[in-house]
Amino acid sequence: MTSLKQTSRPRHRFFVAALLCAVTLSGCRSAYDDLQPTGEQTTCIRKFKPAFRVDWYTTSVDVYGHHISGLLLFKVMPDSAVRVVFTNEVGVTFFDFEFTKNDDFRVHQINSQLDKKIVINLLRKDFELLMMRRLGNKPLPVFRRQNEFFDALPGKRETDYFITDKDCASLLRIEKASKRKKMVEVKLVEETGSAPDSVSLQHFTFDMHIALKKLQR
Amino acid sequence: MRRRNGIRIDFVRILLMTLLSTCFLTSVAQYSGFKPVGDLVGFKKQFATEAKKTQSIKSNFEQEKNLALLQEKIVSQGKFYFKRENRVRIEYLKPFQYLLIMNGDQIVTRDNQKENKVNVKSNKLFQQVNRIMIDCVQGSIVDSKDFTVRVFENDKGWLLEMTPVDKTLKDFFKTIVIHADRKDYSVSSIDMQEPSGDNTLIKFVQKEVNVVVSDDLFKTN
Repeated sequence: MTSLKQTSRPRHRFFVAALLCAVTLSGCRSAYDDLQPTGEQTTCIRKFKPAFRVDWYTTSVDVYGHHISGLLLFKVMPDSAVRVVFTNEVGVTFFDFEFTKNDDFRVHQINSQLDKKIVINLLRKDFELLMMRRLGNKPLPVFRRQNEFFDALPGKRETDYFITDKDCASLLRIEKASKRKKMVEVKLVEETGSAPDSVSLQHFTFDMHIALKKLQR
Repeated sequence: MRRRNGIRIDFVRILLMTLLSTCFLTSVAQYSGFKPVGDLVGFKKQFATEAKKTQSIKSNFEQEKNLALLQEKIVSQGKFYFKRENRVRIEYLKPFQYLLIMNGDQIVTRDNQKENKVNVKSNKLFQQVNRIMIDCVQGSIVDSKDFTVRVFENDKGWLLEMTPVDKTLKDFFKTIVIHADRKDYSVSSIDMQEPSGDNTLIKFVQKEVNVVVSDDLFKTN
């Protein structure tokens, strides 16, 4: 019995070590490790930037099993700032945000239940991503994964990837990623140079999905 | 967990606001006008009497949401139904589809994506909603502790200015102004004025009182 223990212990240790190693390695492995630099830089993605004017959307938000619906307004102001306002169907306003020309952000109005830094920052980042607010004039380095081309826009902690086909003829999706994993994915259905007909925004680090459908008035 | 609770409370509040705006339509006798009503006690009594006569309401409505600072508005249209004691159906048809049914303890909302069902008994705030609804149906909403009410009149009708007392309601509304016709005590419009200066004006048109309204309209399952 003793000899059996002595012989099994090393095997057991090896198994645990291997498992830990596997878990650790898989945990550290980035979901974007397989991106291959193309050596190219491009500004082609700028043509996909949604061109809002005054656009209303029916909106549904699913968070941890809770479903919330309402109407979302995007309005470009004379000074180029964009106002984003969310109301419910009955007309009660929940928030009114301003994305200024100089990339500042102002909260004009927010319901007290939503008035939390974490919620405001989350919504700010989501809207910035779908409006491609961080996209400037600077060319972005292009990476490749099979037939998809990733134009990478690094941020302080996260990177925004604008993913197109080979000829940059269509925007397949946008991803926001940490160093290791995808955090948010945005899909826009739009004609180039106009406001999107629909938007799907999925979070991957927690259970949240936002869907927008443009109102035909 | 805090966020989940917050969202749940928000959802409840949205429904509360909706209910408040609709229950005023069900309380028939409300005032609108320019000079204060002299006999407030008499008005309240008449209000309650007329409210009790209403068994059902069927009406179209037009809703205009005004964003004051942005100088933007969105107009929607739909149908409203009420059937005594406590059944309400609000159906937005243009330019979006949205349905809200209140039937006793059950509340159902349905948009293009999903249907939500809520049991009033499961939440303290919903119990408050229920109480307000009963106040409306019984015509005692003018005595509600949730609002201070001022009543005005002219030769065409009445104006009720409802100012929230409750902090929750204050968060959403500065005042709610209700116009009612003198000829049949029916509500012609509800104006929900928000602290920001925005407002939502709901006008009821082609109202039919005490007509046949099918029970099927209030099914929650």
